[in-house]
Amino acid sequence: MADKEATVYIVDVGASMSEKNHGREETDLAWAMNYVWDKITTTVATGRKTTYVGVLGLRTDETNNELQEDENYQHISVIQPLSQILMPDLRKLRDEIRPSSTDEGDAVSALIVAIQMIATHCRKLKYKRKVILVTNGRGHMDFEDISGIISKIKEDDIELVVLGVDFDDAEYGFKEEGKDPVKAENEVALQSLVEECGGAYGTMEQAINELGIPRIKNTRPVPSFRGALTLGDPENYDSAMSIDVERYPRTMVAKAPTASSFVVRTDLAPQESSTQSSHTLPNGDVEMADNQDGLAAVKNARTYQVVDEEAPGGKRDVELEDLAKGYEYGRTAVAISESEHNVTKLETHSGLDIVGFVPRDKYDRYMNMSRSNVVVAQRTNEKASMALSSFIHALYELDSYAVARLVAKDGKDPTLLLLAPSIEPDYECLLDVELPFAEDVRQYRFPPLDRVITVSGKKLIEHRNLPTDDLMKAMSDYVDHMDLSTFGKDDEGNPTEYMPMEDTFSPVLHRINQAIRWRAVHPTEPIPPPYEILTRYSNPPEELLQQAQPYLNAVLKAADVKKVPPKQKGRKRHREAEKPLSGLNVEELLGREKRQKISAENAIPEFKQMLATTEDIGTIKDAAKQMGSIIQSYIRHSVGDSGYKRAVEAIRVVREEMTELEEPGVFNELIRDLKTKILGEELGGDRKEMWWLVRANRLGLIDKRISPLSEVEEDEAKAFLTAKLSG
Amino acid sequence: MADSDDKDKRRDDDEDEDEEIDESGYKTVKDAVLFAIDVSSSMLERPPPSDDKKADRDSATLAALKCAYQLMQQRIISNPNDMMGILLIGTEKSKFQGEDENSRGGLAYPHCYLLADLDVPSATDVKRLRDLVEDEEEAEKLLVPSKEPVSMANVLFCANQIFTTKAPNFSSRRLFLVTDNDNPHANDKALRSAAAVRARDLYDLGVIIELFPISRPGHGFDRAKFYDDIVYRTTASDPDAPAPLTQAAKTSSSGDGITLLQSLLSAIHSKAAPRRALFSLPFEIGPGLKISVKGYILLKRQEPVRSCYVWLSGETAQIAVGSSTQIAEDTARAVEKTEIRKAYRFGGETISFTKEEIASIRHFGDPVIRIIGFKPMSMLPIWASTRAPMFMYPTETDYISSTRVFAALHAKLLADSKMAVAWFIARRNASPVLAALVPGGEKLSDSGDQLMPPGLWILPLPFADDIRQTPETTLVRAPDTLIDLMRTVMQQLQLPKAVYDPARYPNPALQWFYRILQALALREELPEMPEDKTVPKYRQIDKRAGGYVVEWGTELEKEYQAHVGSQRRNKQGAGAKRVSVDPEAGPPSKKVRTVAQGKGAEGVGDEEMRRNFEKGAVGKLTVPVLKDWLGGKHLPVAGKKADLVERVEGWFENR
Repeated sequence: MADKEATVYIVDVGASMSEKNHGREETDLAWAMNYVWDKITTTVATGRKTTYVGVLGLRTDETNNELQEDENYQHISVIQPLSQILMPDLRKLRDEIRPSSTDEGDAVSALIVAIQMIATHCRKLKYKRKVILVTNGRGHMDFEDISGIISKIKEDDIELVVLGVDFDDAEYGFKEEGKDPVKAENEVALQSLVEECGGAYGTMEQAINELGIPRIKNTRPVPSFRGALTLGDPENYDSAMSIDVERYPRTMVAKAPTASSFVVRTDLAPQESSTQSSHTLPNGDVEMADNQDGLAAVKNARTYQVVDEEAPGGKRDVELEDLAKGYEYGRTAVAISESEHNVTKLETHSGLDIVGFVPRDKYDRYMNMSRSNVVVAQRTNEKASMALSSFIHALYELDSYAVARLVAKDGKDPTLLLLAPSIEPDYECLLDVELPFAEDVRQYRFPPLDRVITVSGKKLIEHRNLPTDDLMKAMSDYVDHMDLSTFGKDDEGNPTEYMPMEDTFSPVLHRINQAIRWRAVHPTEPIPPPYEILTRYSNPPEELLQQAQPYLNAVLKAADVKKVPPKQKGRKRHREAEKPLSGLNVEELLGREKRQKISAENAIPEFKQMLATTEDIGTIKDAAKQMGSIIQSYIRHSVGDSGYKRAVEAIRVVREEMTELEEPGVFNELIRDLKTKILGEELGGDRKEMWWLVRANRLGLIDKRISPLSEVEEDEAKAFLTAKLSG
Repeated sequence: MADSDDKDKRRDDDEDEDEEIDESGYKTVKDAVLFAIDVSSSMLERPPPSDDKKADRDSATLAALKCAYQLMQQRIISNPNDMMGILLIGTEKSKFQGEDENSRGGLAYPHCYLLADLDVPSATDVKRLRDLVEDEEEAEKLLVPSKEPVSMANVLFCANQIFTTKAPNFSSRRLFLVTDNDNPHANDKALRSAAAVRARDLYDLGVIIELFPISRPGHGFDRAKFYDDIVYRTTASDPDAPAPLTQAAKTSSSGDGITLLQSLLSAIHSKAAPRRALFSLPFEIGPGLKISVKGYILLKRQEPVRSCYVWLSGETAQIAVGSSTQIAEDTARAVEKTEIRKAYRFGGETISFTKEEIASIRHFGDPVIRIIGFKPMSMLPIWASTRAPMFMYPTETDYISSTRVFAALHAKLLADSKMAVAWFIARRNASPVLAALVPGGEKLSDSGDQLMPPGLWILPLPFADDIRQTPETTLVRAPDTLIDLMRTVMQQLQLPKAVYDPARYPNPALQWFYRILQALALREELPEMPEDKTVPKYRQIDKRAGGYVVEWGTELEKEYQAHVGSQRRNKQGAGAKRVSVDPEAGPPSKKVRTVAQGKGAEGVGDEEMRRNFEKGAVGKLTVPVLKDWLGGKHLPVAGKKADLVERVEGWFENR
């Protein structure tokens, strides 16, 4: 469990905070609140019940605090007592933090109130205590008796952060010209206060700029395996090695928050019947706009059906209780009874067992199948630490990796891991990734990239698919000039790696979080653009590109890449006759018996062959017409949906051929006729399922986008696919 | 069954993303393979008996059937939705779809015997096939060659009808023709022409004929005699398929230490081509330099099928198809898709956005692979890994010259051991990632077959958010003597050929799962535990390295005691409190097997625990010590102290 936290924000809302300074379009208060809101909403987003936040208003019109009896504590109000912050609190804060009409109120007094709030809340329990003061430093501050405050802050171990609007900060490099002398004095006093307490002091501009650098959530390491790293079999051999180790995640993809499904609640007005309340749905929108929660979660309810030819629709519902668990073996259902439940599980015993060793240079990096882990010696076991250290160093010296079989817990499926040594000055560990099994490798073949082999088996080294020497040289220069390994700058300005992984942040994760936090406090405003850092690495760095431009130009020249015009993709009006390997002229064989009639059994080939041997539009139309009747007969004679797939395939072929032959009208006529007949139930009853397949396979009208010769607009084609006749 | 699942899925998609143009939605991306196996007297001839254990004993027909049997079992595991069928040709008996051997339909395709109709294989199909390959009597009954030759035109039309009726809209349909006869109808021109016409039909239908020729001793297989009129160049009719290797399947024969079966299997595996690209994207090598590439999945963890519900009350066991309806939590009323809003939980309530807002928040540009720059491979630490990689290969579909530009980049990166770093958005609305593009060289087997294709591998890199901190440890660095001994151990145990070859390690859990499932499906005895190839070879390890490990163990004990001694002196020297003395300190134990085990600084070893147990003093130990010890034995550590004590005592009592 993470530590409990108690944080009090002291927000200066004095009248002077409503000014706009240094060309900013926001008031100082609104500007400073960017920081405060971001911090508070980040806390809210954690959803932790043990992270308490309080907000104290300084220079408020009213007075409302524990010490208000004392006149020194006027114009200080508790806006939010220490508690977990939820949306209603956030809304309340949003309303209440407004510039006041007074400049009365002492920041130092507010500090004391804040310390008191924490002391009352936390007592002597273990807490991370923090006070954050946000002010423009322009009110009166009384620094007498400050030593008492300092010792109290130190005693209670409170972290004090002071952020000032337009405070001078030499380190950050900000200096306000023409500064109010009171403010200057206050700044000096506040800075020395913070220094004595060991807290943090800074100018608001820096704090706000740093909001753009995402914060990374630290996760406490949880071991994924605890057990022995063995070499040999300690159960049966005296010569086996066994070292107690623990395994922890090294990488784990941080998931962006996921949206859940909701519907507008309908149970808000219980006196209404459910039908009535669904009529009131539009009202829900009003509530939503107000960002009140008016939503009910959506759940999934599962029902199960089996095929039953006697039941209406051919299917009937079955109860979950009547079903056994099982698996599909091919198309056979295999049920497994409750008692045999574990019969398919391989019996295994936990352990990390070395299989053998491979030289590092013989391992292909792309074999990494998974995220990575670290393996370290069992904590507090020094002997294991020494033993593992010898293993790590020996592996390192041999420039090798180990392959090991891991069973994380008894009964878990075994995996094979690659173990790599990692040695840093004060840290040694093994790093592991999962390796593929035989079944995980799909052996697909791709042609070689450095030679072309012709059908006759001849090997070519010059071919349009192979780079010329010019292209090779140009590419080589370009790659060398786009090198990132020394393009970055470290803190001292020395060349270093550009965009190391530690500087890259998950764009979607932080973007969504940013949007949620923003929307929580700004329900009606548009969402600001993403932080610059999230898109910084989406393009090559400009400066580097400029250097490399001449080399890129050389590649462009040598490569001569051309975009394929969209129209040419897959067109074949005057296609060459396809021939078998021998080059035998099958057309000629076919030509002897010129096709006139397409048979239903061999429709697709005969249709294609009929088209291939003609240029005559009459024949084309005739062929399509014949196909139309064949398709209808497939549907008419279909038992259930048995003939639908064949019909769909035939439609697809006609559509494809007519598009290629630029006769979209012929197909459109066919499909229109078919739709009318299907929906008119002229093809043997209810064939809606067939129309649905046409729709799912997107086999509707050929529109202008697909074939410029079509007379059908895109919208019309879209409407046509619906199951309405008017479409 | 699988089809209706599919349908539901597509229907959902359809409603969800009606606007989207789905390139793959056009055709079902599934594979249907029909084996046509020649049953002639020469195909049935057995090889001459030999003393060589490895020598073939099977006739060519039997080898082909065994090959089909293996493939069927494999495909049930790896492609559970794909179809397969087996047609015997040239048999005395004839049988077609839905018929028994005696019905008249046999007349339509004489001497064609449809052993298994084209479908997703069922347990019965598997059993039938196995009976045939394992039971000689069964085989002899069926595998009888016809007296007159079978007409190839008829065979091809028979295949045509099987594909047309059973797999009308499969995007990949292949006829695997296994024969040793390179010249059927040698003297009948009309029959030859008829066959060529029927082959053309298949071509127009989109069925690819793959010929697996078998050569006999003293008789090679000459494709030019007949089959070059039948087989077409496999130009990719599916734009998603890569340019195929134009190479025809090698002629299979037995000899050279490999059996005909192995030779056939390898020929069939060489025909495996990805049926579907994962993505098709512009690859931006530099501003203004775009080429087109496709991505494929070559490495993917193969998982067992998901469990399902089976309905047993009917005549045959049936899988119950689940469908879900969405209901509102408050009133349990059914909810329409259009009513649903997406919202994020936040601060006890929800934060919602409009559909457009969500789209714009998630939008980081169009799908692309854009190179940001290049780094040496040495800047890619082994742990910088988040998931299995994707494979990328050029295509000329969108940009002409893509292949040669890609080839130039590939060659350069490979030669200099460099990688590209890229901004990668795989699909519309996919989350952008940064990826390392790592060159992979082509790997060939000894016989010249491709083992690994050449191309670039896309390795998604972890962001700072994905990198976990390493756990704290107490580091005790090993002295050089100990390292030297361990090095000697390792040198004895290199993997064969010094590489990790996945092919040598089938997934034991997956294989077991399907073995059991098969046995249950066929209602057979549960099988014995098969050999698990991932279990290390203990005997060999003991033989080769055992002695060195013992030496290392002894040295470890010595060095450890020295380390403990020096630490004690340091601590006492510094005036620290006396640390508890290791009860096991003293002469190193003879057995090395428990080195460095179960003995943390504050923990107790087995020996000490046993002493406590014998004295009845286990209860005197503290809870952390008990938990530590129990944890070391992989026993549960939950519960009150009394439970823990009981568990420890129980452990000793059972020994």
